[in-house]
Order: sequence, then structure tokens, then C-alpha cells
Amino acid sequence: MKSRILVFLFSAIISRGAFAADLTPSQLEFFESKIRPILADNCYKCHSAQAEKVKGSLLLDSREGVLKGGDSGPVIVPGDPEKSLLIKAVRYIDPDLQMPKKNKLPDEQIAALEQWVRMGAPDPRLATADQKKFNDNKTNHWAWQPVKRVQPPTVEENGWCLTPVDNFIFAKLAEKNLKPNPPADKRTLIRRATFDLIGLPPTPEEVQAFVDDNSPEAFAKVVDRLLASPHYGERWGRHWLDVARYSDTKGQPRRFFEDSINPFAWTYRDYVIRSFNEDKPYNMFVMEQIAADRLTTSQRNPTNLTALGFLTVGDHFMGMQNDVINDRIDAVCKGFLGLTVTCARCHDHKFDPIPQKDYYSLRGIFDSCVEPKLEPVVSPIYVTPAFETYHRQRDKLAFEETNLKDSLPKLRKSDQEAFKEARRTLQNVEHQIAMLDLTNTVAPMHAMVLEDAARGHDSPLFIRGEAGNRGETVPRRFLQVLSAPNRPIYTNGSGRLELAFAIASKNNPLTARVMVNRIWEHHFGAGFVPTPDDFGMMSEPPSHPELLDYLAQSFMDNGWSIKKLHRLIMLSEVYQQSSAGNPRYAEIDPGNRLLWRANTHRLEFEPLRDSLLAIGGTLDTNLYGRPVQNRALDSNRRTIYNFVDRANIADVLVNFDFADPAMVTGKRYETTVPQQALYLMNNPLVISLAKRLVAMKEFLSQDNDEAKLKFLYERIYQRLPEPLETQLGLEFVNATQLLDDSANPVPPAAESPKLNPRGKLAKHQPPANGKKAAPLTAWQEFAQALLQANETSFVN
Amino acid sequence: MNPDEHRMVDLEDHFLTRRQFLQRAGMGFGALSLAGLLGEGLFSAARALEAEANLLPKTPPLPAKAKHVVHIFAQGAPSHVDTWDYKPSLAKLDGQPIPGMDGVAMASPFKFSKKGKSGIEVSEVFPQIGERVDDLCVIKSMYTDIPAHEVATIMMNTGSRLVRPSLGSWVLYGLGSENQNMPGFVSLRPGGPPPGGTANWQSSFLPGLYQGVSINTKVPTLNQLIENIRNPNTPLPEQRRQLDLVHKLNELHSQNMQKEAQLEARLEAFEMAFKMQTEATDAFDLNKESATTREAYGRTSQGNQLLIARRLIERGVRFVQVWAGGWDHHQDLEEKLADRAKDIDQPLAAFIQDLKQRGLFDETLVVWGGEFGRKPVRDRNGGDNPGRDHNAKAFTTVLAGGGVRGGMTYGETDEFGNASVKDKVHVHDLHATILALLGFDHKKLTYRYNGRDFRLTETYGEIIKPVFA
Repeated sequence: MKSRILVFLFSAIISRGAFAADLTPSQLEFFESKIRPILADNCYKCHSAQAEKVKGSLLLDSREGVLKGGDSGPVIVPGDPEKSLLIKAVRYIDPDLQMPKKNKLPDEQIAALEQWVRMGAPDPRLATADQKKFNDNKTNHWAWQPVKRVQPPTVEENGWCLTPVDNFIFAKLAEKNLKPNPPADKRTLIRRATFDLIGLPPTPEEVQAFVDDNSPEAFAKVVDRLLASPHYGERWGRHWLDVARYSDTKGQPRRFFEDSINPFAWTYRDYVIRSFNEDKPYNMFVMEQIAADRLTTSQRNPTNLTALGFLTVGDHFMGMQNDVINDRIDAVCKGFLGLTVTCARCHDHKFDPIPQKDYYSLRGIFDSCVEPKLEPVVSPIYVTPAFETYHRQRDKLAFEETNLKDSLPKLRKSDQEAFKEARRTLQNVEHQIAMLDLTNTVAPMHAMVLEDAARGHDSPLFIRGEAGNRGETVPRRFLQVLSAPNRPIYTNGSGRLELAFAIASKNNPLTARVMVNRIWEHHFGAGFVPTPDDFGMMSEPPSHPELLDYLAQSFMDNGWSIKKLHRLIMLSEVYQQSSAGNPRYAEIDPGNRLLWRANTHRLEFEPLRDSLLAIGGTLDTNLYGRPVQNRALDSNRRTIYNFVDRANIADVLVNFDFADPAMVTGKRYETTVPQQALYLMNNPLVISLAKRLVAMKEFLSQDNDEAKLKFLYERIYQRLPEPLETQLGLEFVNATQLLDDSANPVPPAAESPKLNPRGKLAKHQPPANGKKAAPLTAWQEFAQALLQANETSFVN
Repeated sequence: MNPDEHRMVDLEDHFLTRRQFLQRAGMGFGALSLAGLLGEGLFSAARALEAEANLLPKTPPLPAKAKHVVHIFAQGAPSHVDTWDYKPSLAKLDGQPIPGMDGVAMASPFKFSKKGKSGIEVSEVFPQIGERVDDLCVIKSMYTDIPAHEVATIMMNTGSRLVRPSLGSWVLYGLGSENQNMPGFVSLRPGGPPPGGTANWQSSFLPGLYQGVSINTKVPTLNQLIENIRNPNTPLPEQRRQLDLVHKLNELHSQNMQKEAQLEARLEAFEMAFKMQTEATDAFDLNKESATTREAYGRTSQGNQLLIARRLIERGVRFVQVWAGGWDHHQDLEEKLADRAKDIDQPLAAFIQDLKQRGLFDETLVVWGGEFGRKPVRDRNGGDNPGRDHNAKAFTTVLAGGGVRGGMTYGETDEFGNASVKDKVHVHDLHATILALLGFDHKKLTYRYNGRDFRLTETYGEIIKPVFA
């Protein structure tokens, strides 16, 4: 890297010399006295680096800019004013090309410009200093450099360091005279690890076993047990589905009659969960999601084809194919590479070295792909009576569908009313087909594949991103910034397979780093790079660049095993430290970027709801399968299995900051709004769980209130209550019981407000749906209070 | 209009401010008191409170013309040349190339005619709004940066492409709210979230209680409107006791927590949630409106949204965002644009009329507009049923009420409506103007974050004084 900078500086010095040497003193004098003022007064406002908005991509404040020209091509031909657009523009002869826009220049200024072009346009100006620095940075940006093999730094206090990860963290802390926190207590730690890895709380037995295990491997055993749990894939699969903009619907279908349901999107969701559970090497995970159809492994195991859902599960954009392709490029580039390549759809990327041509290289690849009319069946078919019934229904609907489609063109001409009616019927039939495939458990599984078209073709560049405004054709190939010189042109079909290899390559500086950063982010609340989907020039530099590289390198060395990466991270002291505060440290490093303590995180909606079910003992632990269609989200299955409609996300999900399937989401927004509180205060599911908790045998069998309270704390928070908490809890329960007792003589069903069961605090809420439910008992109310308190929603 | 008459005063003493809560929590426990144990923590929390954010109403530094804002967001980018910006040249050139542009001119399929005393030309798609044109200020020379929906939508709502506080959050931060039992900033959407989702009403680095509360109005019942707004099991006073306990548990637990700002916001959220149970249900209950009013607004999704908006404004809510999108007409513009326009025409006209009748019009700034405009040429994707492609260089935004001069147009686009050319108004300029109408110098309404003073208009923004009444 150092030598690169040197080379660059050297060439800059040479060229500066060359420019100055170009000009004779009289040329210099002519330019400075005549030309520069004209350009500065009349053109810079729209055509300079300082312009608020550069017009027509044309810069006239540097020699390079003048020679390079703008959207319409070069603006001067040195020596030939007649062929120079600039001269044509200032002459005001073409009504479509008149510059400056406001007023024609005085004749003598036009003459000076003509003379200047005739002289060969001598120009002493360099690119502005800012531009040059920017260009330097563009090449030298850390993220484009190869992953470095780094040795963990030696640190003084080796006693703290459990793993090499700690050396990096400790060294950075030591630079600021900070010390890491002591380890978290064991109950906190196992809760943290369990939520992190499987998105559920530990059972009281698991906690006890860990507390009792005094062997040095105790925590490693916990981590290994959790990594082996099938619920691991549900937790980490969901993180990936955020990136994959997963939804069970198409958003805006291609054709008016199409149904918006994607009946087999869930096969991709299951592929993701399964891949995490199987610890599929990440490079393979990447390749399958881009080109599973072209990999020989898919011939042996057709289920792998479901991986292609990554490309096809996006919005259908009313059939606007350019938008569909754009969405696929976006998912691939942000998801795997942390690059905002789609910014280059209309112009060269404003910040990163991604020329517009690169976008169209990728566009060529995806434009050479098709979604087959018949998606491949990837599950065995057993001809049972149930299947035969399904098959008959399906055939009948398909027959109707064909007939209706055939009838439409004729009807359109002959009978508008009948035409509209047929359209409606067709929509209805399509919906029935989608629902049948979605819900019938014997409907064969289809993979939402993408295939290479018969012939791969290159894409023209669309000037300013406009499909009708075609520029030169660009070859299909990989991004310039991530390629060696002479990057190969893709010829194998669409080029998708070659693209997959280029992304999954160990030489790609971004793939491993981006994934390591995602994993780190979900363990610590923030990644080394805070913007997981953008590692470009606009991103903040990593907090620990050496550690990021160390982890990326060992990730690749360990066969791209994500589970080994979790282990490496979690067995470190930095992961296991407590989250206790330190006001002095907080002033030095307010955002805890250096990790002097563990970060507390709020649970996302999925683990929050799943853990409520687990605590209440109603969680359905079945894995995989067709989505649960339940907008109220009160089913007992894990939340990841709930049907996601991208056009109409369930309100409860919106209120809890669910990842919008409109785009790649490596990091969810985190908002705090009253509806989240209302959910915990009033949602029937939460209330029913509170009731279940105090109806449990283990609760009822406790012989005193203190033991009951202890049971609830262990069940809900996986810890014992502090004395003050016991006091607080018992006071509340007793006071509530007193209120209840005093109200007891009064029949609770009475309608008169005077006869309210809560004595003097008689003020009922307006009943929901006109129904009044029995008031909660003191213990039910207390249990619900524990569910509402922050500790349920936060992991320490 | 006295917003207090909607409050349930008899419950007021159950609504704790945080300070009251802290005092109470500190006093309830005799010798082994919570305050004793947490002494310093409580003290510092109480101290932080002094300077902390709140929703109490504040007087703006400059004379204000408006007190509330209702921003009706026509998301999808309505075609200005088919609604407000009449371009006869397009009809003349229909189907022929426009010099200097790529593609052929597309005449508007709609007729325009002069309306009101002011004689402003309005498209036939807005028959009822057209009748109110003397109340409207039509800014024809809007422009923005990027013609992509999500980016431009967020830009219109936050003045930025990055994660920044929304306009509503800034307004709430500056003015507080006139009603402490309701969120001060409410965002109404008829269905799923719009492009950009939360980013459009987020508070970003501003404190969490300035965040917009987003509500899906396309649900059949009042109980679903604000999910979980009612608890059939627990009477309010009992829930108050329960919530006090929750706060105390949190206070104990927070000794080990670090995200003080977030916990603070959470406490506020629970308190607001509790208070909303009494007042919010009432505010959203359209059954309390007369049949005449319901009919005037129309019993449609937008009719309901604007009627709710009025009920919110009446109750002192500061900023209401109303999503009224579906304007992305690349094809079938003739059918689809007319359809969208019809959707908002009667409700918006009724809304203005209603505000006037209730004396709220002068203090409520109404904004209607999208995130950018559309091109004067045909979209190539449109085929036989043409539409128009995106255009960041020109669009129309309509203002009304709150200190705005009615019956005027401001700015111009070129002959074909391709670009704003005269008195151009950038999104930042619009924001600066809105803040000015509310009594703020947009350069001085700042918030210090990460050692820097941020403002809505970044380093831009010019106030459009000619639109002031």
C-alpha cells in the first residue's frame, strides 16, 4: 500500500511539471487574463467542483475537466474551434445548445475563446487540491486493500487475554488508558450467550448447570451446546433474511392478474436456516445464493436450488425489469460486498470508485437471466390420496386459468363488461392457485430459481440511467475496484457463476470482512464498521481494523466456518465482560467503540415475542415449513415462520422496527414508541402468558410468597431477586390483594360503576369489543409487571 | 377551542411525570429505601431531568403565523403538468420530440381551467380543491436532488439522505405540544409503511419523545387503529399501580444499564402509552363526528385520515403527517392519476372548509405535495397507455392556511415543465419557510450532537417570503 502512494505522488509531480512546461509565458498570460475570467464568471456556477450541482457532468475548472467533457462528450477539440461544442454553445447558433444559459457572451469574449481553442487550449490548471486528495483516497481506501495477515499485538496485562481477539481490544483500550470491565456474572453471561445464539432465554436448569460447572471449559460447553441447537439457525437465519429483503409476497406483481403471494418463498427461508444450522461454509453459501443452478452440488442435492431465492425473493416492481435487476444488483453488492453499487445506475458513483460502466457490467449479467415459467420441484412426491386431491384441484384451477387467459384478447375487443369480469375471475383463480400451493401441505416444494438465458449478452450503458438513452455497450465482468488489471470478461452463460466465484474468492477484500462485521455487530450491538451494508468511502473507518482483518483471515483459514467464528469471538474475555458503567470512561469513549464494557442490547421483536412464549411455556419448537398466516402474530410458532407481506407489514412488526423488505437491512433502526409499551401492557398474548405463569404447577406448589416470587424471577429473568426487589414485589402483591379483598364482597360482574371491584379507584377502561374480562389477580398482575419491565426486553 | 375539555381531568393525578415518579419512588420505602440504595443514581437522574427534553409547549423565538402543521404526502411523485402546472405547449407538440429533450411530448390528458377569483389554472382532476384555490398557495418551481422515490421521500421529510431527524421531530423539539396526553407528532398511513419507513418520522439524534408515532388507519376498528390501546382486564388506576411498579423495577435494574437515553425514552413511552389510553381512543374515534361531517369528508380512507388529522390538531397535536401516496404513474397515467386525485380531492377540500369553520385554518399550515415531479415526455415503458418518468428538476407543492397567502402561485417551470426556472424552491427552502411560519429562524433551531450543532436545513435554505400572507 505504501508503494502505491509513492507511485501516485510521483506521477502527480511529474504531471505537474509537464503541465507547466506545456505553456509558454505568453500562453500563460493569455489564459490568465482572458480565459480564466470568462470561465470563472460565466461557467463555474454550474461547471466546477464548487458548483452546488454540476450540470451535464461537465467540469470547466480544471484542465482534465475541459478535456474530458461532459454527458455530451468532449467540449473542445484543441486546435479546431469549429468542431468544439464549447464554441458552438457560446455562439448561440443552435437553439438546443446555448451557453451561458442566461445571456450570450459579448463578441470579444467569444472571439477570445475561439482563439484559445485555436491555440490548442493551453491550460495551466490542475485538478483542485480537494479533488486530488479525494482521488488519492479513492484508490487507497482501506476496504479495497487485501485482507492482511496480522499478528495479535503483545500486551502488558496478558492475564486478561483469553484469546487473540482480546489482545487487539486490550491494546486499543490501553492507548487511552482504559481497562476492560471484569467478567459478567455467570447468570448474565449464559443469558447473553443464549439470546445471542438462539434468540431464546436459557431454561432455569441450563442456568443452574452452568452456575454449578466450575470447570474452565464451562462456558465453551455452553457455546458449543447452543451452536448445536437447531434454534441457532432460526436466530441467525433471521439476521440474514434482513439482508436478503425476505418477504412471502411480490410487492407489486408483474402482471395485473398475477397474485401477490410467492407461495414458495419459504423454501428460501428454510434454506437459510438450514445453512446456518449445518454451518455451511460461507463461501459456499454465497455461491449457492448467486448461482446454485450452475453448481454441480445442486445436481446431487436439488434442494440447494432454493438458495436462489436470494435473487428472486425481491419486489416484482410491476414487471419493470430494470428495477428488478437493480434490486438484485443491490442485494448482491450490499449483502455480500458492502458496496452501494446501485448508486452508479445513473452516473459514476459520487464517492466510491465505481464507474457507471461497472453497474452495467453487472446489469448485463442479470439481464442474461430468466425466471423459468415452471419452477423446479425439489421435494419428492408421494402419490397419496391427499396428493391426488391436491393435484385435481390444482389441475382444475390451471385449466380455468388457461381458458380465461385465452378469452381475454377477444373479449377486450368485443365486450368491455365481460372483459372486466373475466379479468376479475382470473385474478381470483390466480389467488386460489397461490393459496393452494402456499397452504396445502402436500403441494410439492418449488425452488424460486433464476436460470441463464439461452445466450448471454452485454448491456448498453443507460445514460443518466434512462433505459431509452443508450450509450456504449459494456462487457460483463466484475467491479474494477475489486479486480486486478485486465479483469476477465465473463463468457460462461450469463456470467453469474463467474461473478459468484469472484465474490466468494479469498482474494476478494470485502466478502470475508463484511460477513465478519455482520457477525460482530450482532454479538456486540455495533460492527467495527457501523454501516454493515456500506464499506465505501462514506463509511466510518473500522474501530479495530487489525482485529477485523485478523478475524476475516481466520474466518477464511477455518474454511469459512461461521460457527468457528462465533466460538472465537464468544470465548474471548471481551465478549464475556460485564456491562457495568463507568462515568469516567463514558466521557472518554461515550459510544463504547473501544469496548471497555459489554453493550446492553434491546431484543428485536422476534426474540422478544419468542422468549415470552418460551417463558410462558407455550413455544412451539418445530422447525421449518410453510409460513404461519397470522397478522396478529399470536401463534405459538417462532416469529421467523410468520408470513411476511412486504406490501403490508403487520403493524406490530412496524412498531417494533422490523427490517423493511424493500431493501437490504444489515442494521435495523431502533425506535422507542408508545405502541411498544402498549404491546407489553395490553396485548392479549402478554396477558395470557402472565396468567399461565402463575398457573404453572411449579408456581402453585411453592408454599410461601417469597418462594413464588423467586420462581417468577428465575423463570422470567433467569436470576434470583435482590432483597429490595423481593421487598418491592411482596409489597405490591400484598397491597393488590388487599384492594381485591376489600372489593370482594361486591359481585365483580356488576355493571354499576359504584360496584367496581377496585374500590375507590373505580374507573374502568373502555371495554374492548364491548367485553369486560375478569380483572387479573395480584400475582398475575405482578407477573405481567415483570414482563413489562426493561429486563425482559434487554440483554445485559 | 379548548383542548383541555377533552382531557379526563379526574385521572390527571394518576398521570405521573417522571419527576413525580422519582420523588415517589424515593419516598416509598422507609429505612431501606430505594433512594438510599440508589442515592446517587436517582440524584443524577433527577438532575438530568432539569435539562431534559419534554413535550411542554414552548413559545417560538419569532412571531409565529402557524401553530400546527398537517403535511399531506402525495408519495410516488405526482405529475405537476397534469395537476397544477398547465403547459399548453405540450398539447401543441403532443407526440413530437421536444427540442433538447429525449423522447416525445405527452400532452396532458386533462383539461385545465381558471378557478376562483385568483383565476389560477387547475386541472379537472381536482374539481373540489379547485373551488378552494383562493385559499391555496401553489409553488410551481420546486426541485430536489435525486429522482429516486425512497431517497427523495426521506429528503422531503428530513432534509437529508442520511439518518436525520424528520421535520415533524424538529417542530416538536422547537414548539413542544399543547397536549401532554397525546404524542405531539403523529404519522397516519393507510396500510403498510411508505418507502423509507421509519426514516420518514424518526427523531434520529433528537430525544426519542420527538419521534413520530406512526398509525395504520386502514383497519376496520378503533381498537386496531392503535393496537393494544385497550386492556380488558386491568382498570386504569390498577394499571397505574402496575406501571409504578414497573418503573421502580426498571430503576433498580438500570444500575447496570448504560443506554440512559434509551431507557429515558422508554420510560416516556410507557407513560405516553398509559395516557394515550384515555385520550387517543377519543381522538381517533370518528363515530363521534356527525354524519354530515363524515359525508363531507367522504367515508374513504383519505377522508378518514384527514378527519382524524383535524381531530388531532384540535387536541393540540403539533404535527400530523398524512400519507396519501400512489402517484408513481409510469403508465396508465390518465386512469391512475385521476384515480389518485379523486381520492384526495373531496377530503382535502372538506378539510380546509372544516378548519375554516372551526377557526383553525389560520393557525394550521397545510402542505400537499410529493417528493419530486415527472417529465413532460412519455415514459417509454408506458406503451399504449402512457405515463411519465421521474423528474427531480420540477414539481409542485401546495401550501394553505397558517400564515400563507391564498390565491397565489409562486415560481415557474420552463415552457414544457421540464425544469424549474424562475424563483426556484429547493426542499431546504421549503423547510426554512415552514419553520419561519412557525416562528423559527431555521439557522438557529439547532441541536448539539456529537460536538456539532445540527439543523434541519444543514447549510442551505432560503425563506420564501412572498408566500407569507
